Amino acid sequence: MTEPAPWVYSDTVKEHFLNPRNFLMGDESKYPHDAEGVVGNPVCGDQMKMFIQVQNDQIVDVKWKTYGCASAIASTSALSELVKGKTLDDALQVGPQEITDYLGGLPQHKFHCSVLGHEALAAAIENYRKKE
Amino acid sequence: MSRRVYLDYAATAPLLPEVQAAMVSAMKAGYGNASALHSTGHAARCAIEDARAAVAQLINANPEEIIFTSGGSEANNTVAEIFRGKKVAVSAIEHPSVLGSMRARTEECKIIPVNQEGRVDSANVPTDVDLVSVMLASNELGTLEPVAEITERCHKNDIFVHTDATQAIGKIKVDVKSLGVDYLTLSAHKIGGPIGVGVLYVRKGAPYKPLIIGGHQEGKRRAGTSNVLGIVGLGAAATWCWDNWSCKLFAEKVRPLCDDLRTRILETVPHSSCNSPMEGCLPNILNMSFRAAEGESIQLYLDAENIMVSTGSACAAGDIKPSHVLMATTGDAEVAHSSIRFSLGIETTQEDIDRVIQVLPGLVQRLQGISTIKIKEEHD
Repeated sequence: MTEPAPWVYSDTVKEHFLNPRNFLMGDESKYPHDAEGVVGNPVCGDQMKMFIQVQNDQIVDVKWKTYGCASAIASTSALSELVKGKTLDDALQVGPQEITDYLGGLPQHKFHCSVLGHEALAAAIENYRKKE
Repeated sequence: MSRRVYLDYAATAPLLPEVQAAMVSAMKAGYGNASALHSTGHAARCAIEDARAAVAQLINANPEEIIFTSGGSEANNTVAEIFRGKKVAVSAIEHPSVLGSMRARTEECKIIPVNQEGRVDSANVPTDVDLVSVMLASNELGTLEPVAEITERCHKNDIFVHTDATQAIGKIKVDVKSLGVDYLTLSAHKIGGPIGVGVLYVRKGAPYKPLIIGGHQEGKRRAGTSNVLGIVGLGAAATWCWDNWSCKLFAEKVRPLCDDLRTRILETVPHSSCNSPMEGCLPNILNMSFRAAEGESIQLYLDAENIMVSTGSACAAGDIKPSHVLMATTGDAEVAHSSIRFSLGIETTQEDIDRVIQVLPGLVQRLQGISTIKIKEEHD
């Protein structure tokens, strides 16, 4: 008999869900940021918001807020780790598959969480560029 | 790791020790095929008939009105098969095995609305159908439905009535004679029996048509070699409920724990609300919503604390839509996505409830803190 899986998602998803990185707790106006991007809808069960600080076209800091499931929280947490320090163009290259791979895989019906994460960051970068 | 707290009895209740013992002894007995006339076959047949008598006793039916099935879903599908091509009406909060099978097999499946507590008003039950199916108690909310009242009304109009009593059985008194129903579904694994066996009660004289054909088993009403071990387990669980006055245990022991859990969640968890009714509810089911915190995340944070519950959020089930029950009662997808169902059982203790209250407020507040949804302070 095979050992029962200890958890429904991968260890990395579990780690980022239970100990998320770079999240923004509470009032977002207290975090100085150059731009933000939001995707999703609470009615659908998932909403993500990315906040970026940019210097010389580089993301020097990133924070996020998420309403959603474990995969949604883990996806935004992983993405924040992946793009911190990257140039805006490089950060845009971090697509859903890279987020999913970084997390050690997501179930097929949860892949959209990584898509939403990518789209939230892309929206933040677009908003930043509009301002410039 | 802290002690496991299991509060998902409505999904499945742990096997009772008495059931396990009965099933082990049935395994060791080396029963034959219950259809065979030789003595090992006959022994199996006797064990099955004992179980049938135990189930009949529990719901005040006659043994010949009990048909063993593979579970509640098969029993519900069988009722849909009996009314294939006919017109039926079912409540908006039925289990998917009722909603799905009725929609697939009948000519027309009307939906009977429910109020905010998930309760059907018998005045809203259509009078121009062949069958009405309303569950005895909601699996998600615990809401008790006025089935006896519905039956009285329906029978005046020559409409047959089915009730899915899967969650109610063993928790409250279920008496087919006082309910007056023509068909009733129950399942073993909700009362400490094994998974994979259930019952369809068919009132003597009510129309019947088998779902599974090709054998004479169950009085030609359900073909297939009898699941002796499962049926013995179901019989032992029914016997346990009867001998131990399980309904009294739930009323006296479980309901106070469930009430305590509700009161303390409302006191300690910000922006929590109760989806289950205060009155007219099963003694063991409590459905709560937590604003701005998503159900699957709450469920898995609780799981990390070794506390097992379930959620009406779409995310958890791999579904696109959240709970159809909470959508029917609240019409608010966010409430549905943010819902948690706590369901208690006879083994639940005060320590279990205390443990939930120890960890739940902090983890919900944490999820609310990182949520994109801003909670406006409500003044009332």
